[in-house]
Amino acid sequence: MPTVNYVSFDGQSTQLELAEGMTIMQGAVMNGVEGIEGECSGSCACATCHCYVDDAWLAKLPEMSENEDEMLDDTASERKPNSRLSCQIKASAELDGIVIHMPEEQE
Amino acid sequence: MFRFNPYSPEIDADPFPAYATLRAEYPCFWSEDAEMWVLSRHKDIVMALNDWETFSSAKGNLVNELPGRAGSTLGTTDPPRHDRLRALIQKAVTKRALAHLMAPAQSVAQKHLEALKGRDQFDFVAEFSSKYTVDLIVYLFDLPPADLEIVRDKAVMMVQTDPVTRQKGPEHLAAYEWMREYAANLVQERKKNPGEDLLSQFILSEIDGDKLKDEEILLTVTTLIMAGIESLSGFMTMLIKNITDHPEVREALVANPELIPDAIEESLRFNTSAQRFRRCVMKETTLHGQTMKPGDFVILAYGSGNRDEEVFPNADVYDLSRKPKGHLGFGGGVHACLGTAIARLACKVAVEELLKAFPNLSKVDQELRWMPSTNFRSPLELQVKA
Repeated sequence: MPTVNYVSFDGQSTQLELAEGMTIMQGAVMNGVEGIEGECSGSCACATCHCYVDDAWLAKLPEMSENEDEMLDDTASERKPNSRLSCQIKASAELDGIVIHMPEEQE
Repeated sequence: MFRFNPYSPEIDADPFPAYATLRAEYPCFWSEDAEMWVLSRHKDIVMALNDWETFSSAKGNLVNELPGRAGSTLGTTDPPRHDRLRALIQKAVTKRALAHLMAPAQSVAQKHLEALKGRDQFDFVAEFSSKYTVDLIVYLFDLPPADLEIVRDKAVMMVQTDPVTRQKGPEHLAAYEWMREYAANLVQERKKNPGEDLLSQFILSEIDGDKLKDEEILLTVTTLIMAGIESLSGFMTMLIKNITDHPEVREALVANPELIPDAIEESLRFNTSAQRFRRCVMKETTLHGQTMKPGDFVILAYGSGNRDEEVFPNADVYDLSRKPKGHLGFGGGVHACLGTAIARLACKVAVEELLKAFPNLSKVDQELRWMPSTNFRSPLELQVKA
């Protein structure tokens, strides 16, 4: 199973193995990793699963939808070039080892 | 021989011993009584919730599905259409978008508590949670103020199941038909005179330039009213049951109301009202040595996953300091409850105001009558002492 590394705002790292196809957001929420809320359960209708994707994986990510792009304009913490919604990124062999940095706040 | 019968009044009253056996001995169990599989471990339920391609909701999500609902509500539609539909409503019910609900919730709670002043004992369900939740939904959906008690009675009736015939009885189906009709009138009226309310926004929505299907609008509105009224008051009743069953918890909340959200989260874990939902197997799947075939239905027992010791140590203890993460009190995956922010806000305000008005609130010894339902669990009446 692909692993995902979640790095909290204060630098703490949590490594999880997620089933293929599970989103990075669901992995965090269901395993109690703090820093990702996922209020809309992954329907891309809030921005509380905002994350910063480590640059090494950015190019491998699926393209951002128009809707995700719009939602990212409404994040609680600053939007950066590597900002994504973690509900739109699924764990996969290609993204094995991906590093996700959590923002300071989600609401 | 172990059986798991979700129709039995014993399971309505206390499913937890049976859940413990399921988790320990039969983690993928074929229930002959339900004619469905039952998944009971937290890990397996999370897996199923996150794999909608294998465990679909499109054939219905209620253990005893109501006629015509499958495929026509948010909860019974799979991605990607589900996500588009959900996003239309979700934006209006995020925590941030609901700040406007706080003041009306407080004044509605205060109004109904004022009416209970001077009473020694009252029924929390009939005299508080029902009235409070109906008023909140009326506000959110801008419902016409007539006959609200009937709306409430029908919402409670339509989620029930007949324990003897093991299906929806005529009274349950009649309640559902009544609610459909009520929703249909409401939809017609909103189409003519749209307002700023949540329902108007949804009714007027389009996906990729297409209007939503009439049946989709009608049944989603029906479900939102059902959930907003029945599910919310059912959970709130369980929350107050926990608080009065544990006087030390009540004292802690009175002393420090900031702990109320912790009590809500632990109640969602400990004995959520949404005990069981259903999925349909789409691909042959083998789990714990059992093979589930395409077309088989599967019960996901959230209430059991929430007592799984692998995830929640001392799971049978109500622990205010637990702050549980990853509980299944609102389900999970893409179909996790739409109204989480409404529920958390409504419950927080209700408990704050209730404990201000009745800081010594305590339980009354009584044999609880539980709602007969294969999905939901809450008492029909909860007497409390002021």
